[in-house]
Amino acid sequence: MERAIELINVSKSYPGVTALSDVTFSVKKGSVHGFLGPNGAGKSTTMNIITGLIPPSGGTVKVFGEDVLEHPEKTKRRIGFLPEHAPLYGTMKVEEYLKFVQAINSLRSTVTHDDFDETLELCGLKDVSHRLIKNLSKGYRQRVAIAQALIGRPDIVILDEPTVGLDPTAIVEIRELIYSLREKHTILLSTHILHEVNLICDHITIINRGRIMNSGPIHELQSGSEETQLIQAEVMSWRDEIKPILFRDLPLEDLHVQTKDDFTKLTFKLKGKDDYRAWISDILVKQNCQLLGLTKQTVDVENLFKNATEEEGKGRFQ
Amino acid sequence: MKAWLRGISLLYKKEIKDAFLSPFVYILSGLFIALGGWVFFSLLIASKNATEATLTASVLIPSFSLYRFILMIICPLLTMRLLSEEKKNHTIELLFLSDLGNTQIVLSKFFSSMTIVLFMLGLTILFPVILGISGYSDWGVVVSGYAGLVFLSAAYISLGLFASSLSSNYVICLILAIFMMLGMWFMVLSAGNTDNYIVGLILRYFSESFHFENFVRGTVRSFNFVYFLSFVGFFMFLTEKSLNSRKW
Repeated sequence: MERAIELINVSKSYPGVTALSDVTFSVKKGSVHGFLGPNGAGKSTTMNIITGLIPPSGGTVKVFGEDVLEHPEKTKRRIGFLPEHAPLYGTMKVEEYLKFVQAINSLRSTVTHDDFDETLELCGLKDVSHRLIKNLSKGYRQRVAIAQALIGRPDIVILDEPTVGLDPTAIVEIRELIYSLREKHTILLSTHILHEVNLICDHITIINRGRIMNSGPIHELQSGSEETQLIQAEVMSWRDEIKPILFRDLPLEDLHVQTKDDFTKLTFKLKGKDDYRAWISDILVKQNCQLLGLTKQTVDVENLFKNATEEEGKGRFQ
Repeated sequence: MKAWLRGISLLYKKEIKDAFLSPFVYILSGLFIALGGWVFFSLLIASKNATEATLTASVLIPSFSLYRFILMIICPLLTMRLLSEEKKNHTIELLFLSDLGNTQIVLSKFFSSMTIVLFMLGLTILFPVILGISGYSDWGVVVSGYAGLVFLSAAYISLGLFASSLSSNYVICLILAIFMMLGMWFMVLSAGNTDNYIVGLILRYFSESFHFENFVRGTVRSFNFVYFLSFVGFFMFLTEKSLNSRKW
């Protein structure tokens, strides 16, 4: 696996505060990597360190195998960055701003990419290219901010909460734009919207209180946490005598019974990765429980996030 | 080197365009010329014997001293936003991530403010020209006085730029810059009050008004140039360090 970004035991301390502690994870080339964590977890600090905006207190950051501290100019050129607060000059026109960004980013470069029109087209900014940035809607301003990160055709695009503060329509538009970038760029994206991660990302890293809680391909993390699984069943009639039978015939860790109105909801916590729904159905039918439904609870990103941040105790999530 | 200068020129052009597209510079220029003009003509009318010596002593020298006080207000007003606004709008990150170095950022901001001040001072040249039309010919004092104003502006701008790098709040930057300038002005007052000759001399040397007066009177010495150049260099160095410290 070729690694676009690699962080090895990265730490960052300010007087009296440890922002990052032994942060180690990597971003695979060509992937869309979601970076999740509650407010103040260290996402922006990590991203600022990767881009070279701030140096780490310890550890190593590599971009395509090259140390960010040893080769800052070289690695900087391969990264396009959208910081948490869009760095826009409101008094400039969109075209003027992007040309300015292109110019200040290519002062030391011998090869200049004439990707200006392409970027305008990709970000849907052609129609507003002659308008002042301060007069644009928030959604369009965010597009301009993403466009500045794409100018110069960087291999890696780092987006720090690109959809925060946008209305639902703009969120969908920006999400589609990010999705379209996956063909040409490796993307590291921090977000608060877990649903967004499910839709766009193939890898995730969860950070909490400056420590990495989980990192890897989403499907692997999901299957990894399926050492125990939850299955829910709804039955019309329930008797407590059935409970020992279920514990005898199934690798049950726990069974939660909740009777509500005319039916009973059973939550099975089982060990292992096998699908036990057929077994459960068989037992409940044999016991004349009048089975109404049976569902296996999938471990989505939301649960992964919840589990990872709850382990630390005080994880906040907005 | 060519790329390095191009970097300065890119940011300088952006700053100049921003400044001259906003009404702020024109309002300041208008106030400067109105106040300067009013004082100049008041002094001219008050000057009874219009000889070259009396015009220099009672019109030109007081006018240059007045410009100095106006510059003490105008320079911090011009510089207060230069870096603090970049910080406030987070565009400083864009500059840090670009190929521009801190020195280039500081120099382009400095030159853009100098251009605006030169534009303002340029408007006041009208007044000595009027004297010239009336027969005044001591141009050495005029040139020396304007050179003093240029050096003084450079000093105030470098100090204002440093103040602007310390906070993202314009008002704080403005107050800081004015207080630092007043602090230096008080050095001259303290120099006059001290009994210790050496201390008095040192305090006077560190105050910009002492060196500016030499320019205005046409008695410029090499140490006056050294003072202003080292003043500008020192505050540019501090500004550059202040920008660097933000990265850590």
